[in-house]
This record gives sequence, structure tokens and C-alpha cells, in this order.
Amino acid sequence: MSRTTPVAAMPMSGHTPDTGGRRLPRVLHPVAWWIWALALATAVSRTNNPLLLFLVLAVLGYVVTARRTEAPWARGFKYYLYLALTVVAIRVLFRAVFATGITPHDHFLFSLPHIPTPDWYAGIQLGGPVSLEALLSAATDGLRLACMLCCIGAANTLANPKRALRVLPGALHELGVAVTVAISVAPQLVQSVQRVARARRLRAGRNKGLKALRGIVVPVLEDALERSLRLAAGMDSRGYGRAGTATRSSRRITGALMLLGMCGLCAGAYGLLDATTPTFLGLPAMAVGAVLCVAGLRLGGRRVSRTTYRPDPWLLPEWAVAGAGVLSAVLLFSNVGYNAAELNPSIYPLSWPTLPLVPTFAILLAGSAGFLAPPPTPPNPIAPRQRAEKAEAT
Amino acid sequence: MGRCTTTSGAVLAVDFSHWGGPVYRSCGTTPTTGYELLNQGGWRTTGTGHDGPAFICRIGYSGQQGGKQYPTPQQDDCVLTPPASAYWSYWHADPGANSWEYSQLGAMLYKPKPGSVDLWIFGGTNIEGTKGRPKLTPDQLRAHNTKATGKVGTPASTDRAPDLPPGTDTGPKAPEPKKPKPAKSASASPKPSKSPTPSASPSASTSPSPTAALTPTQSGPAAGTKVVDAAPAADAKTDAGSLVPVLVGGSLIVLVGGAALYAKRRRRTE
Repeated sequence: MSRTTPVAAMPMSGHTPDTGGRRLPRVLHPVAWWIWALALATAVSRTNNPLLLFLVLAVLGYVVTARRTEAPWARGFKYYLYLALTVVAIRVLFRAVFATGITPHDHFLFSLPHIPTPDWYAGIQLGGPVSLEALLSAATDGLRLACMLCCIGAANTLANPKRALRVLPGALHELGVAVTVAISVAPQLVQSVQRVARARRLRAGRNKGLKALRGIVVPVLEDALERSLRLAAGMDSRGYGRAGTATRSSRRITGALMLLGMCGLCAGAYGLLDATTPTFLGLPAMAVGAVLCVAGLRLGGRRVSRTTYRPDPWLLPEWAVAGAGVLSAVLLFSNVGYNAAELNPSIYPLSWPTLPLVPTFAILLAGSAGFLAPPPTPPNPIAPRQRAEKAEAT
Repeated sequence: MGRCTTTSGAVLAVDFSHWGGPVYRSCGTTPTTGYELLNQGGWRTTGTGHDGPAFICRIGYSGQQGGKQYPTPQQDDCVLTPPASAYWSYWHADPGANSWEYSQLGAMLYKPKPGSVDLWIFGGTNIEGTKGRPKLTPDQLRAHNTKATGKVGTPASTDRAPDLPPGTDTGPKAPEPKKPKPAKSASASPKPSKSPTPSASPSASTSPSPTAALTPTQSGPAAGTKVVDAAPAADAKTDAGSLVPVLVGGSLIVLVGGAALYAKRRRRTE
């Protein structure tokens, strides 16, 4: 596992995707990118500090531009950014319409027409005065969710979804179609948007406006689902999701173990989050569920023997990228070296956010994945494909 | 405290016993909402990032540790709605009533009746209403004097909260009409009637506020929780912080963002 090549271990900053660089370009293990991104999303969930959140966005942008490939799904980061922007806008709009009250200490901005609600419905207000504090708190709240979305988007952009499917445990192959569709639908959507937009451009169709939106949304959804199903069918025909030599009873036991394990995990998560539930529903239920799931996976995987053609290696860069992500999450949850209050600057009353050193360092550490990862493989070493495609498109 | 009587003003009581502190008691002579009662005379609250200022997440009194608000940011970050196991629950007792009623309205919508008591307790409650009930009775907290005492002719504090912005919904109308202020008749009486101290604590007169930082206690408050009258005080100073971290952070973001743009341009030219 930890076998390293001298080329990959060489420290290097900057990015030279050409073959003259000091590191051999190759694609990082998809799981390493997923661990990195999920850890960064976990770290983001801890803070509401706009400085840190914008820093996370900048770091994501840097890593994605520096280390993405030229594959179709790797050009979709801007769609995740649009989605993030929509999230923030919706959050701010809802906060303005469903007023949460204004105090004399707040900075009054403007007033929306107030729609009176009956007394028995007094808990909800529609319209009314809107304060700067209300909008700012909604914006930072939305920005946090937007950052988490962008982390997932970065993972989808950086990791090859089809190669990520290979590392799924053997027992999950029973759910072949569902798993394939679930994992690949976001990258497929991005690809479909690009394909449909290009087709419209070729036919000199309108690319903006509400009419164009309708012309894009329906084909995109149809196309994405169809392609996911086609991928699932293609994988099925190559033996993915094959039951192998498993007997009917062993498959049933596997299914029962998995189902019970999942129920245990759900109950455990509920018990952990709701403080009023009895204690046995928390960690113990979660542990039992995890054990059952592992047992089911082991039992199911024993029957299916698979070989992998050219498996993705897990070398030092993979350890470094995944470690940088996990370390940043650990630092943000450790409360070491900074005041936890600095992660959530006060909005009521309004105050300037501070820049705590350790969390800033943690986020920059996660950004070091931009040069810890090897440069991506050029799509086609012989001909610059991007140019060719551009010429094709216009 | 003497400004509140059995028929005028509303008594505000805040129970800090979760952190080993006393139950503070103060009087709002003309509160329009429960929120305003809790944000006057040195009292100040903080809402949550998710629900806005109307959800009372922290309560602080400037006479206690310079207005430090509880729960502290270490105990609850007040970003999301606090859990039902640890929040400020809001209780009312109507004039004359000696039982607590869990508030059906938020602090910004509820209008305290003259002579009523508002109590805030930190802790957990359940839907059945069996857990987290106040240990003190309303009679231990309410004003028992029929006439206002103390310097009633002058306002306790000239600090006035700024006016509400236009169009603010202050909720449904209070069911009872406001009684006239007792200030005139009270100032005429030369002998101020001493208000009976709450029976639970014989030494309930204004005692110096504790200086040591309050720490959360595991067990709930005992019956002997101290009731302390909180004198009206000026608002605690709030610090808006410095602009330097914002500038440093902003330049850092621009730096990393610039690196991203540079990487993008390099890709394009390759």
C-alpha cells in the first residue's frame, strides 16, 4: 500500500502537466479526493465565519483548477458554484420574506409590505421590516451550506466517478443499478447540460431566457437518467452486480444483515442527535448496526470474487491528500489554539469577524492538496484535445 | 424593583442557577412585549443565526460580570436552534395567579399584562410539561406592594431603547387594557411601604452581584435559590471588533483566488 515511487515522493510546488515536469502525471485515486472533500465539508460545517468560508471557496477553486482532468465531468465546477449561489439567494430571500423580528438595536434596511396573520398563526410573520443583521446572518448561513455543496462538487469534478465505483465493496454489487445511478447522476447531469447547451448552440437556438431554460431542463434530466441507466446496463453486462456463486439463502442472509444494519445505523444516528431518547438508542445501536453491516458486506463479498484490470494505486500522494483533508477537519473540531467563539462571529450585535490562526492554517493545509496531488494526465498526449473540441463546437 | 406593584408593571425574573448564579428579578414599568421587558435596564439577549433575534438563545445582565451572556459561546454557539434539552424556557404567571404557564408565544409576540411575572429558566423541558418546571412560585417573585416605592418620580434610567422601525409587527394585542401608571399616587405617599421579601430567601435584598465566573452545575437548582433584585443599569458595551482581521483574511482570499485564476490561465494557454 505505502510503496512509493521516487518520482511521486519528490516534493514539488507548482504544476507542470507536461511530461517535462519532475513528477509523472497521473490520476489520483478517486477515494483520496472523496476523503479530502468530505473532510473539508465536515470542517466547513463547524464554522459560520465568512472569512473562513470564502477562504474555503478560494481553496476549492484553486485545487479544482490546478488538479482537474479534461474529462467531461471535470469541467462542471462552475455549475456547482451556480447551485451554491442559488442556495445563498434563496436563504436570504426567505429570511427577508418570513421576517424573524427586528429589535431596536438592529440596523434597519427596508420594509416589505406586511401581511397580517391571524392570532392562532402568530408564530409566523410575512413581510415587515428587514434588518441588515437578518440578511447577513441568512447569507452566512447559506454560505456555509454553499461551501459544503462546493466541496461535494469538487470531489465530483476531481474524482473519476466510474473509477470510484470500482472500490465499492462486493456486497453492494447486488444493488448495482441503484448505486451506479446514485453515484454518477451529478457528473452525468453536468455532462448533459454541456451536451444540450452545445447542441442548442449548433442549431443557433437561444441560450438565455425562460424559454431556453425549458428547452434545456427537460432534455437534460432525460439525458442524465438515460445515460446513468446505460452505464448501469453496461456495467451489468460486464459482470457488475452478478450474484456469483451465492446461493439463494446466503443472499437472503446478506440482505437481512444489511437491512438490519442500516436500521441500526439510522436508529443510532437518531439517538445521537436527539438528547431525549434513551441512551441505548445512541452509540450502542450505531455500533450494532455497523457490525451487522460489516458482517453483511463480508458475507456478500466472500461469494463474489472479482479481479480489477489496472487497479488505481494508493501511494504517498493519496495519503498526503486524504491526510491533509482529515487533518483540517480534526483541527477545526479540536478547539486547540483558538476560541471556539471565533468560528461563529456574532451578528447580533454586529461585529467584524476575526481570523483565527489555527482554522485558517487548517484550510490552507487542505488547499495544499493542489500541489500534493500529482498533476493530472493530459487527456490525449498526441493532439491538444481541448482545441479540437473547441473547433468542433464553434 | 419597587416600581412594580401588584397591578402595574411586569416583573422579569431570570434564573441563572444552571451556572450557579442567583435568580435575578427586575421590573419593567411599561413593557410592550416580553422581548422588550428582557432588553431593558441592562438586560440584553442574543438570538440564533438560524432564527434571528426573536429566539432567545443567550441572556445577559450588565450588572453581572459586565453583561456576560449565558450560555457562553463555548456551551452553545447559537447558530442553530438550541435543543429542547438546553434552552431558555419562557414562563408566565398572570396577576394573582400562583401557577406558572409555559408561554405559547415567543418573546416578541407576547405582551405582559400589568402585574404579571415573566420567568426565564435555562434547562430542558418535555412536551408533557412535567420536566423543567420552575421551582420558585410566582408569589416568591412577584411584587407585593400595592404602591410603588423608591424613586418613582424619576425614571430609573434615562437610556431609552431606540424606536422600532416602521411597520414592526408587535403581535396580537394584549387582552387587558393598560392600567394608568401609578407614579403620581405613589410619589404623594411619604411613607414607602416596604415590599415583603420573597419567602424562600430572607436575604433577598440587593446583594452584590457575584464576581466569579459562573460555571454550569450538574444538579438542578435547590429550593434555596437566591433571588436577587437587579437594579436597572446601563447597557453593557458591545465591541464591534477590529477591521484588521477582515483585511488580512480578505487579502489571503484574494491571494488564493488569484492562484486559482493563474492556474486556470495556464491551463488555457497550454
